[in-house]
Amino acid sequence: MTFRSVVLLAALSPLGALAAECVPAAFLGYSWPSKTKQTEGAKKAEIAALEEYAFTLTGTDDERKGIRTDGMVIIKGGEIIYEKYARGWDEFKPHLSWSVAKSVSSALTGVAAQQGLLKLEDSICEYLPNQSDATCKITVHQLIQFSSGIDWQEEYENSTYQVSSVIAMLFGEGHRDMLSFITRHRSFAEPGTKWRYSTAEATVLAAVAKAALAKKYGAADWAWSGLFDVLGMRGVYLEEDKLGTPMGGSHVFATPRDYARFGYLYLRDGCWNGKRVLPEGWVASSTTPSTPFIMTAGENEKTPSGWMWWLNKAAGPAKEKPWKDAPDDAYSAIGHWGQYVVVVPSADVVIVRTGDDRDSGISLAQLIPLALAVAK
Amino acid sequence: MKRALLVMVLFAAGCASRETDPQTYDNNDVELAVGNAARMSCSCLFVMKMPSDFCAAWVKASPNVAKFNIDIEKKVVEATALIDWGARAHYVDDRRGCILE
Repeated sequence: MTFRSVVLLAALSPLGALAAECVPAAFLGYSWPSKTKQTEGAKKAEIAALEEYAFTLTGTDDERKGIRTDGMVIIKGGEIIYEKYARGWDEFKPHLSWSVAKSVSSALTGVAAQQGLLKLEDSICEYLPNQSDATCKITVHQLIQFSSGIDWQEEYENSTYQVSSVIAMLFGEGHRDMLSFITRHRSFAEPGTKWRYSTAEATVLAAVAKAALAKKYGAADWAWSGLFDVLGMRGVYLEEDKLGTPMGGSHVFATPRDYARFGYLYLRDGCWNGKRVLPEGWVASSTTPSTPFIMTAGENEKTPSGWMWWLNKAAGPAKEKPWKDAPDDAYSAIGHWGQYVVVVPSADVVIVRTGDDRDSGISLAQLIPLALAVAK
Repeated sequence: MKRALLVMVLFAAGCASRETDPQTYDNNDVELAVGNAARMSCSCLFVMKMPSDFCAAWVKASPNVAKFNIDIEKKVVEATALIDWGARAHYVDDRRGCILE
C-alpha cells in the first residue's frame, strides 16, 4: 500500500478507522539520510541569509553579547537538509536544553499515558505518595498546563537571586531534594484556575512520568526505554537530584540531531516507525493554547502555551501571533539562552537551534522564515 | 481601646503583606555562585564534553568569586569561594550526567 493510498483511505473511511493509525513516513534509523550537499548547491543565497543572521558573532566570549549560535539542524521530509556548528560544537556534543526539557517532560508523560501507566485526570499523589493535602489536589493535567497554583518565582540570573525559586532549587537550598522544595511552596491560586510559567511544574511532571514509567522499565531505564531509545536519541542525558528526581524543567542534554528526532516525533503526530509513541490527539492537545493560558496569562507572556510547548497562535493577551512571518501552525520547545526545537507541520520541517545568547538573543520571528526559505 | 485596634490593624496588614510578598530563600549569593559553578562546570566538562577554557567562560556568573578544583580522572568538580563556601559535583553516568552533592 502506498503512502497516498493510506492517506486517501484514512480520509474516506466512514468510521475513521485509520485515523488513529500512524501514517507511513520516512523513518529515522540510527543513520540519518543527509542532503546537506544538495541544499548547499541549490540554496546558496538562502543559506547565506540564514547564516548572516544566525552565525555572525558580534562580540567576544567575555562580552557575551549578541546572537551566539552553537548549532543548527534543519530536517525536511525526514532528511537532514542543513546542518552547521560553531564555537567549538559538533554533531556529537550534547547541548544543554534549559527549558526545552519541559517539552521533553511533557512527551514522557504522553508516553506513560499511551502505555496505560498514567491518566491525566489523576492526582499527582497517585504517583508521588506522602504529599500534603494541598499538593494532592493537583492533577497531572493541571501540571502539564502550568496551572498547579504553586507560588513559584521564575526568575533567572538577571534578577535578585534571593527571590528566584529556580536558582534556589538548582544551586541552593532546594538542590538535594527538589520535590520537597517545590511542594513546600505556598499556593497562589486553586489548581487549574491560573496559568503561570514554572520550572517547578515541569520538574514535578517529570517525577510523575518517572514514577509511572519506572513501573514498567525501572528507575534507571524509564526515559530511555520509554522514549529516547525508541527515537534513536543516543546522546541524551537527563540530570537528577540526589534523591533521583529528574531535572525535567531544565537539565536535558542532547545533540542537535537528537533534538531534531524529538521534534520529528511531534511532526509525525507522535508516531515513530509506524508505531504510536504518544496517544492519539496528544500532539494536537499539546499544540493548542491551554484554557488556563487563554483565561489568565498576563501581559508579560505573549506567546501562547499548550502542554509545555509554545505556539504561533493569536491567542495570547497581545491578540496577534508571536512569530509574525512564520506559519500559523509553527510551534516550538524553547529554552533559556536560545535553545529551540521548532516544528512546522505545513512545511514538513523541524528546525533545531542551540545557542548561548546571554543578552537579547535570536528572534524566532526572524529565524523561522529564514530557515524555511532554506527548506523550501 | 484605639491603641489596641491600631495594633490589630497593623498586625493584620503585616500578615496580608507577607502573603503577597515574594518568597525568599535561605541562600546568599556566594553560596549560589559556588553551587552554580560546581554543577554547571561538571556538566560542561563531562556531559557536553567541552574544553576547560570554554567551560570556565561558560559558567562565569555574578558574583564571579568561585575557584575551581577539577579532577578529570574522577570527574569531580569542587568550587570554593572566600573562606566558608564550597560545593561539589560529580559525574554519575552516561544518562544522569552530573549531580550537585
